[in-house]
Amino acid sequence: MSEVQRKKYSDKEKNNIFDHEFMPHIDSMYNFAYRLTFDEDDAKDLVQDTYLKAYRFINSFEKGTNAKAWLFRILKNSFINEYRKKSKQPSKVDYQEVETYYNSDNVDYSMTSDLRVDAVKDMLGDEISNALNSLAVDFRTVIILCDLEGFTYEEMAKILDIPIGTVRSRLHRARNLLKDKLRSYAENMGYDTDE
Amino acid sequence: MDKNQDTSGQRKLKCSDENKCFELLESILDGEGEADTKEVLDEKLAKCQPCFEHYHLEKVIKEILQNKCTKHMLPSELAETIRQKIQEIK
Repeated sequence: MSEVQRKKYSDKEKNNIFDHEFMPHIDSMYNFAYRLTFDEDDAKDLVQDTYLKAYRFINSFEKGTNAKAWLFRILKNSFINEYRKKSKQPSKVDYQEVETYYNSDNVDYSMTSDLRVDAVKDMLGDEISNALNSLAVDFRTVIILCDLEGFTYEEMAKILDIPIGTVRSRLHRARNLLKDKLRSYAENMGYDTDE
Repeated sequence: MDKNQDTSGQRKLKCSDENKCFELLESILDGEGEADTKEVLDEKLAKCQPCFEHYHLEKVIKEILQNKCTKHMLPSELAETIRQKIQEIK
């Protein structure tokens, strides 16, 4: 972006972009922030910091392009750089460890294959949310971006600074982990998970 | 009822490359398939039981994630606070 020589926006243009291209995404931004931090105050701070940064660097945003992805990228970077360290959430399973484990070619699908469609359909919103929230942050993030926010793989690659192939494989691993969680919920609810 | 359900007897019970197939099926569900997506999908669902089950399970999980996940209400004052802060740094 920095290579592109773009003329600076006037104050009026800045306000226009901010109001019409940035602010409409505040709901999604807050939900993303909340799902990263699990804390209302942290989520508010994170969204606020993101919008202030977005305003400060507004000249590097090209009017009419994908504002939502641009904002999500700033929010994700702020979270990693500032909030993750002081997060009230105790640290989850080390991501690298999990990724290495699931990177092995022979994932045992027999564990998840007996999770039944009907059991999933009957689950409550809280159960789904809890299962999602229990995933390590990098796995949780790809599911949020893809399934809840509807970003394309290409957009996700830009938001997360990873190649598209990694987006695809990380999503796949995240979904396997989510199914493990859903399966334990199904068992606890008394569903017969065996065929 | 899915029309593919009727042909379950003809599907192979083992998938030769689950990792690759399941990743492909998920990318189709995510709207990221290539031009020949429909043909690939139809063939896999018709011929492979693990692929058939994986696709339908992932489809319903994606739907409940979209429809049932707890939405957090935006704190009412947040947008206004942000606007004020912007005024301060101008």
